Formats: sequence, structure tokens, C-alpha cells
Amino acid sequence: MKVRISLVAMALTALVAAGCGSSKSSSSTTSAAASSATSSTAAASSSGSGSCTASIAIEGPFTGPVAQVGLEQLHFAQLAVADDNAANHTNVTLAQDDTQLTPSLAVSKTQSIVASNAVASIGPAGSQEVEAVGPIFGKAGMAFVSGSATLPALATSGKNPTFFRVVPDDDIQGPQDANYVVNHLHTKGVLIIDDDEAYSQGLVNVMIPVLKKAGIAVDHETLNGTDTGATLAAAIKSLVTSHLSAEDGVAMLPWQTATSAQMFGQDAKQAGKKVILFGTDGTNSPSQFNIPGTYVSSFGPDIAGSTNPLDQAIVKGVAKYGPYGPFGVPTYEAADVVMKAIASVCKSGGTPSRSNVLAALKQTNIPANANPLGVPVAFASNGDLAGNNGYLFKINSAGKYIEIPPK
Amino acid sequence: MQVFIQTLVNGLVTGCLYALIALGYTMVYGVLKLLNFAHGDVYMVGAYIGYFVIQWFGGPNHLSIPVPLLIVFMLVIAGLGTGVLGVAIERFAYRPLRDAPRIAPLITALGVSFVLENTVLLLFGGFQRSYNTTDFISDTNGIHIAGAHIDSVEIMIVVLTAVLCYGLVQLVDRTTLGKSMRAVASDREAAEMLGINVDRTIALTFFIGSVMAGVAGVMSGLEFQTISATIGFLAGLKAFTAAVVGGIGSITGAVFGGIFIGMCEAFSLSYISEKYSDLIVFGILIATMLIRPTGIFGRRALQKV
Amino acid sequence: MPQIGVDEWVAQSGERRDQGTGWRRVLYELDTRVAWWQRLALAALLGVAFGLTTNNVNLLTVGFTCLLYAILSLGLNIAAGWSGLLDLGYIAFVGFGAYGYALFSSTALGTGGSGGVHLAAFISIPIVMIAGGLVGVLIGLVALRLEGDYLAIVTLFVGQAFVEIVNNVDPGTLGGVNGIYSLDSLHGFSGNVSTPRGLYFVALIVVAVLAWLLHLLDTSRTGRAWRALRDDPLAASAMTIPVNKLKVMAFSFSAAIGALGGALFAAQQGSVFPTNFTESILILIFACLVLGGAGSIAGAIAGGIIVWALEQMLASPTDAGYLFYGLILLTLFLRIRPLWKFFAVLAGIIVFGFVAHAIVGAISSSATAGHPGSSGWIGSAVKNWVIVPHDAIGYGNILFILVIVLVLALIRVEGTARLLLVVPTVYLAACCWESRLIVNPAITTQIMLGVILIVTMAARPNGLLGTRRVEVV
Repeated sequence: MKVRISLVAMALTALVAAGCGSSKSSSSTTSAAASSATSSTAAASSSGSGSCTASIAIEGPFTGPVAQVGLEQLHFAQLAVADDNAANHTNVTLAQDDTQLTPSLAVSKTQSIVASNAVASIGPAGSQEVEAVGPIFGKAGMAFVSGSATLPALATSGKNPTFFRVVPDDDIQGPQDANYVVNHLHTKGVLIIDDDEAYSQGLVNVMIPVLKKAGIAVDHETLNGTDTGATLAAAIKSLVTSHLSAEDGVAMLPWQTATSAQMFGQDAKQAGKKVILFGTDGTNSPSQFNIPGTYVSSFGPDIAGSTNPLDQAIVKGVAKYGPYGPFGVPTYEAADVVMKAIASVCKSGGTPSRSNVLAALKQTNIPANANPLGVPVAFASNGDLAGNNGYLFKINSAGKYIEIPPK
Repeated sequence: MQVFIQTLVNGLVTGCLYALIALGYTMVYGVLKLLNFAHGDVYMVGAYIGYFVIQWFGGPNHLSIPVPLLIVFMLVIAGLGTGVLGVAIERFAYRPLRDAPRIAPLITALGVSFVLENTVLLLFGGFQRSYNTTDFISDTNGIHIAGAHIDSVEIMIVVLTAVLCYGLVQLVDRTTLGKSMRAVASDREAAEMLGINVDRTIALTFFIGSVMAGVAGVMSGLEFQTISATIGFLAGLKAFTAAVVGGIGSITGAVFGGIFIGMCEAFSLSYISEKYSDLIVFGILIATMLIRPTGIFGRRALQKV
Repeated sequence: MPQIGVDEWVAQSGERRDQGTGWRRVLYELDTRVAWWQRLALAALLGVAFGLTTNNVNLLTVGFTCLLYAILSLGLNIAAGWSGLLDLGYIAFVGFGAYGYALFSSTALGTGGSGGVHLAAFISIPIVMIAGGLVGVLIGLVALRLEGDYLAIVTLFVGQAFVEIVNNVDPGTLGGVNGIYSLDSLHGFSGNVSTPRGLYFVALIVVAVLAWLLHLLDTSRTGRAWRALRDDPLAASAMTIPVNKLKVMAFSFSAAIGALGGALFAAQQGSVFPTNFTESILILIFACLVLGGAGSIAGAIAGGIIVWALEQMLASPTDAGYLFYGLILLTLFLRIRPLWKFFAVLAGIIVFGFVAHAIVGAISSSATAGHPGSSGWIGSAVKNWVIVPHDAIGYGNILFILVIVLVLALIRVEGTARLLLVVPTVYLAACCWESRLIVNPAITTQIMLGVILIVTMAARPNGLLGTRRVEVV
């Protein structure tokens, strides 16, 4: 009671302090942190020529159930910022915003990004988050590039005028995968399981018509993708037990966690059920999903085995920040695209601002051998990637990913 | 028929894991009337300790010791580690709140849960780790019943749960420690006045409960192979549900509750739709609570005025 | 901990307070002399001043969210604080309100992405509140059979069931996984409120009106009956208090306010998704309520504001640095008495740091080659003070565990040993912060939030503004 008023005063002070603090530093810099984590590029990145200074932000799920995905994306983006700072003599700093894959948090982080002096943003990771934050970025005229949001409507709805993505959307990837199953895998029945998330449902909705048109019997099941641990494992086991029948020659798993796909495959093997697994890019993870005979589609080639010096530098470089995982490569490219746009603005003599970075992004044209995705990177007018970069891998008997033609 | 038996087995195995975690919940609740939401994260730490024991002995492909010995080491080290963790949590986070209104330790427990989960995320990264059990325990041995398959890890889980449950019941009913626990659960102040070392009893209760959680963590790692920093929260919720549905404070109730929930989940996942299975399980549990408001094995406490 | 004593000691607690002197006495005098409505007016005035003077859009949005959490805490306070009903499904009411508003303010009820119902906020929000209240009545009826933790479980189910329902049922109308977006902003019959400043003032008005109404409720017979129900349901029913009716009332009021909060939330976000209403938000609301003081209106409001402000501060590395160092200094200041000892310890920490840095730097230059994570003046101040090696990740991890162990040890030792141990502990904590924690601000936010919750609850179990209980033995 005695200290009641003083505590209320403290509360208000905290609020004001928070505001003052976040107003000047919500694009708060982690440049020092980034440079303390990198070694060889430290000198270059933090002591860039200084004339081209800007700040950008990255949104992603850095804590919470999908922290693995978010942290991977963060590490690749940090690497891209460091690499491009060194190559283009720029001084761009990257701020981090954690969204925990929750749209409401994404909205509040986006609002603080927009209120800061960031000129562009990378992410968010999930399609629902893009739906929620697209209009906010659009109103601020700020470009944002996603390396993983594949819902087709994000670009076609017109509600996200400043949205770009460096990955093909579901309308391209889904039918391509389904057609491969129809043409090459000759099966009478397909079990297709979605994990109740926007990414998965989007793909399933376009794959099922293609399969059905070819006369294949489709069994569509759902898995609760937000479960973790024992509950998730029990759900996967039940799927194998009761829905995987002898006629299902192929099981399609458009999921976002490779370990769940691995669990499914192992359960199937243990139950003695022969089935060919087909995973999409969300399950592409050579260290976690490696059941022989499986097909996995992807947005990019497996740069871990590539001899291209750029790819090798990326694989080695990201080790400073965290382990390598293929999910991060598109985010590397998303960051790279933004960095190159900023550099081109500086080169033509301007100071980076939201409008000129947005304009420069629209002119992006990176040849295939200058980026890890293996295809030319350019954007259509609605922000979609112009061109298609679907890749397909088959896992051989030693558990290694071998690239095969996707059609 | 095969589907039925396999579903039964699946439900039993998952149920046993929930039961092990629920045992820790129910013991702590009985003694302190505290809902320990950090218990699920203790389970997660146990799973990680088991993972690191495997790595220490050479990793799943190059084990330097025979598998049964490895499993014993994993269980003992994880159990001791989580036990000590549980005692530390009680000593530093919950002891100051012994006499506080019931809602306050809830928030402390949530705070502990945040710290544990994110410490693991900080130290070991977000990359999901795998036990890769199939590399050192073949999943083809085990028994076959009518086409359904139960492998050795699953048998181990069920047997271990049964043994631990029996041991715990004997502990509570027959030993002095058990009597102290029951006394403290019944009336803490009176127990203290009668000379029972309340602090020590509570610490031992936490220790035993956390050991159970640690063992459950190792077993779940062996069975489901994937572990990450966030598996604890949902498992904790499920175990809490199991403890309450079975009758909170009752050991057999916790085990029964865990198996009941595991079975409900497995059967609704297999036979009804996957999409609505969660809702169905909730419906069953709500109905159970309405029919027996103090849980299935819970005793209706007579309130003395 | 409640102070335990026999009757006379308890009876003299007022006297002891009256005889106190110093700044505590001044605050106490202020506290008793200022009436509740004056306090409310003062707080509202501060809020209005804040809203009018700041032009920072981000600050206004943060302010709105703080007030929103205050509203949500007020709603939860009725069930969990006043009536002692552990309602773990509260988030379902919030979601209900949000989705209700969404259905009435978008094209969701129309066909093919157009049309739909677009009601003015004056109409849709009261409808949503009343509907929420009715749902609360339903849940309350279910709760009649259950006590304590059994009630908690069933409400938890309801909360999770809500998310499942909106996720899976009728994706055409409710949007399923993709939610409902492009919601109308709050609009009356003519204008609409969509600027951050406007939304902030709407929230401020709602909080002020709610606080006033709830105070009236608290001091009425119903409020007293709720408190009796919380403290001892059996005695309450023996005194002919209609326990059942009160429980149902508590749930329905709580649900109505939760729905109000949810509707405002949806209006500000412009979209609703099922994943917005999971347990993590519920946990946050509970933390707001309990931290502020369950059972107290001012506590609920303060808790809502403080917790969200903390989250914001912790999310930005610079502010988190201020908070980190500030809290350490504050703790040392409050706990080390007399004052000269505090300054001695402070000096010791600083000297220890420079000495350690110099020694380690002389031994191996790569061990101090890294840069401290903080930027700005803190970074330059600590550059020669903390030891940050080249490759800081492993080092930082070990330090983190070491610091935790040292802090726990600190709690156990007493006297001079404790003062001596504080010096290396604080120094190592600062090293760990600069080299490891600040590199992953998202993870550090969660850890610090957890630590703040633990420490605050241990220090003040009744919450910051809750009333201290004095128990008679």
C-alpha cells in the first residue's frame, strides 16, 4: 500500500522509457554483435566505406515451436548481410524481430519496423503472417522479401503491393510435384497428408486435382501441425497405422518439419508397409530426413555438395552462426537481393530510402551463377519470382540427396 | 483387427509416457497444492541429457559400450540430472512462495518454464536433435500380435512404467518417507509440529517426481527420436490433464489418467478423423470431468467446518 | 510471505505504520489521503498527456497494446482475482470477441469475398460483448460442478477447443488456417478510428470507464460476495450467499470484458488468425494479472502496462541492455545496506573487471579481441571492461551456466562472503551478456522475462499492487 503510487509511477516511467528507447532504436543494431560473431569479414563489414549506410530488419520465428526454421533463416540472412557488405563496401545493419510465427506478434513487430528507419525488410516466414503485415508494409511503401511464404494469393490479391518472394508459389510447385508422381511413380493410390497450416493446405489444394484427374485414388488426411513431441509422434504413428494402406504406393508429405517426415517414414518401415515418400521443400533437410528411395522437392539445388565457389563459401560461412540447413538458402537470397538493391541505389549516387530501394528491387536481375538458387532472380510485377526454380532430389540407398530432373 | 491392436499399442505407449510425467505432477500437487508448469520442461531437459549421453559414448553409430549398458547410463544420468534440477527449482523458485496465494506459484512456474526452454534454445540451438535409435536398436525385434508390431523400446516403456508405478505406490504406502509425504500433504503445519522435516520431505518429493520426468524424457527420445526445446510444454499440459482426470493426488489415478488420454488420442486419431481428434478428446475429457468432478480415482474431500 | 503473528501484533499493525517516518510514510499518507476516483483521474490525465504529447507512432502503438493488455487483465481479474476461479480458458473469450468483431466487419459473412456485414463499432462491439457474456454463462454452468484445479482443466480444454474450432470448422466463413483479414477499422456512422493516436485514446477511454465500473462492482454487495466466495466457498454458502449464481456471474462478466478486449485487438490488427489465441497469449495475460496484483483493479491495469512495456523493452537490444544493467544496479542498491557497502561493492566490480580484462588481455590477445554486443555509449564504456573473445559462442554458453550457479550460490551464503561473491558474479554476468546473450535478443527476451517473473513473485507474492496479507495464527 505504501509503495503503491511509487509503483504506478514506475510503471508509467517504464512505459515512457520503453517508448523513448524503442523510438530511436527499434531498428536497433546488431552490427557489433554480428561482427563479434564473424571473424574474417568482421573488419570489412563493420568498417565499410561508410558512405552507404542503411538499416534493414528481418522478421522470423526465432523462439517458439518453429525456432529451428527461424534461426536457420536468421543465420543465413546474417551471412548474406556480412558477405554483401564486404563485396559492395556498404554499411548495412540487420535488426532482428521475433514473431514466433504468430500473426499478431508479426503485426506489432512490423509496426515497430515501419516506425524505425529501416529501408527494407526480410521475411516474415509464414504466409499467414504475410497476409497480416502486407498492408502495413504497403502503406509505408516499404519493400519486404520473403524466402518462404508460398501462398499464391499473397502476390495476386493486390493487398500486398510491396511484397516480393524469391521462391515459386504453390501454384507452380504443387502441380509440378503432382505431375511427377503421375508420370513417373505409377501408383494406384496416394495418401496425401497436410499439417493444418497455410503452406501445407495451399499445396494440397492444387495437388489433389492433378492426381485425381489422372485417375489416382487420393486419401487426404490431416495432421495437427502445432503438436510437438509425444503428441505429434502419436499422431504420425496413428496415420501410419490406420490410413496407410497397401494400395497407397506413394505418401505425399507437404510439411514444414523434416523430422516429422522422418518419423513417418520410420514408422512405416517398422510397420512393414512399403510406401514411397514424397516430401516438399519444407522437409528438405539432408541431415534429418534421409530415408532411401524418397523424393524431396526444393526451391534450390543442394549447395552442400556443389563445387561452385559461391555455394561453398555459403556453406562454410554459415557455420559461424549455426548449422547448415537447406531451408535457409532462399532467405540468404532474399537478404542478398535487398543488399544488392541498396548497393545499386548508392552506386547511382542516392541515399537509400524506402522508395528508391523499392524501385531498385523491382529492377533486380541476378544471373544464375551469382546466387545460390541456381536460377536467374528477377521479379514479376506482382512480386512473384519470374521464372520457375523447381528442383527434385531422390535419396539414394546411402541416404544422400541426388538431384534428378523435376519433370 | 491389426489396426485395432496397433492402435491399442500406440495408445498404451504414449499413455505410459504421459503417465510417467503425470506422476511427478500429482506427487508435487499432493504435497504442495502447486501446479508445477515447469515439470514438462524438466522432462525436456531429461530428453536432452539422454541425447548427450549417447553422443558421449560415441554417437548412435559408433557406440563404445553395449546397448543395455547405454540405456542404463542414460536413465541413471538423466534421472539424477533432472532430479537435482527439480530440487533446485523447488529450493530457489518455489520455497519463498510456500504461503502465498495459489495463483502466485503458477506464475513462478511459468517463469521457470520460460527460463528452462530458452536456456536450452540458447545453449544448444534450435536445430532438432535426433536420438537415431534405429541405428543402435533394431526396430524389427519385438513381438508380433495378429499383424501388429510392438518393438523392444515400446515394451521397455510399458514395463518401466509399471515397475515405477508399483515402486512409487509401495514407497508412499509402506515407507516412512511415504508417510511423511502423506502427512505433509494432509496438513503441513501439523506435520511440522509433529517433528517431520517438511523441507526435506518436499525436496525429496520433487526429486522423485523429477526423476520420473527425466526417465520419461529419455524413453520418449528413444521411442520418438526427435527432441527439441519446445517438446516440454505440450507434454506438460497433457500430463497435467492426465493427473487431474485421474484424480489429482492419487498415484494410480495419474497412471490411469495418462493411459486413458493416450488411448483416447490414439483411437480418435485412427478411427475418427485426424482433424477433429483433438476436439473429440477434449469432449471425452470434459464429459469425464462432469461425470466424476474429482477425477476418476479422486477422493471427494470432506470439508470439515 | 504473509506476516504471521498473534492477535495483538496484528491489531497493532496499523499503529506501527502510523509511527513510521521517512519517504515510506509520505507515500503512505498520499495513498490514504487520495481517494480512488482522484487516483483514477490522475492516471487518466497522465495517459491523456502521454497520448497528446508524443508524436512517435511506435510509442502510441505500444501504448495501445499496453492498455489492451490492461483491459484483458481486468477481465481475467473478475474470475481469477476476485472470485478465485482459475480460468485457464480465458483466451477463448478473447478469441470469441475478436472473431465476432471480424465477422461483423468484413466480407466473411458475405459470398465470394464481397458483401458481408459491416456494422458500426457502436453496434458490433456491444453485440459481441453480450454474446461473450452468454458464452461465459454457459461455461459458468459447466463450472458449477467443478472445483479448483478440476475447473482449471476444463477451462483449459475450452480454450484449446476454441482454437481447434476456428481452425477447422467452416473455413469458408471463419477462414480456417488463413483467418479473416482486411477488417474494417473501428468506425461509427461517419468517421473511423484507424490512426494509432485515435486507437490509443479509444483504449484509454475504455480502460478508464472499465476501471470506474469495476470499482463500483467491487465495492458493491456482489464484489464482497465474490471475495467471500474466493476466501472460503463453504462459509460463504453457509452465509446464504448464492455461490452458484455468483460463479456464473463471474464467468459471464469476465467473458464479456474479454470479448471487448478481443474486439479491440482485432480492430487494431486488422485481421484474426487462430494462432493468435494460443496458450502463449494466455500465459502473458496471467503474468500481467498476477504480477500487477490479482484482485486489485489498479494492479491489473499496472500489470498489463508493465508486462507489455517490458516485452517491448527487452525486444530491442539497446533497451534490454539498459534494463539489464539497471535492474542489477537496482537490486544491489535495494539489498545492500548500508549505503557505503553498496558503493564499495560497485567499485569492487568495476576494478575487478578492468583488472581481469588487463590480465587476460596480456595473456592472450585473441581472448579479448571481440566486440561487446551493446552499441552506443554502453558499448564503448564496457569495451575495456568485459572480456569478449573472438569466438564468443561457446565461451558465452559456459559463462551463462556459471553465472546461474553463482547466483544460486549467492542466495545461499550470507554476510561478507555474499558481498565478496557478488563482485565476480556481476562481472561475469556482464561478460556473458555482452558476448552471448545480446547476440540472440529474441531468446534473451524470453529468459529475462522468465527471470523477472520468478524474482518478482519471490519478492512480492501478492503482486506489485496487491494487498499484503497478515495472518493470525
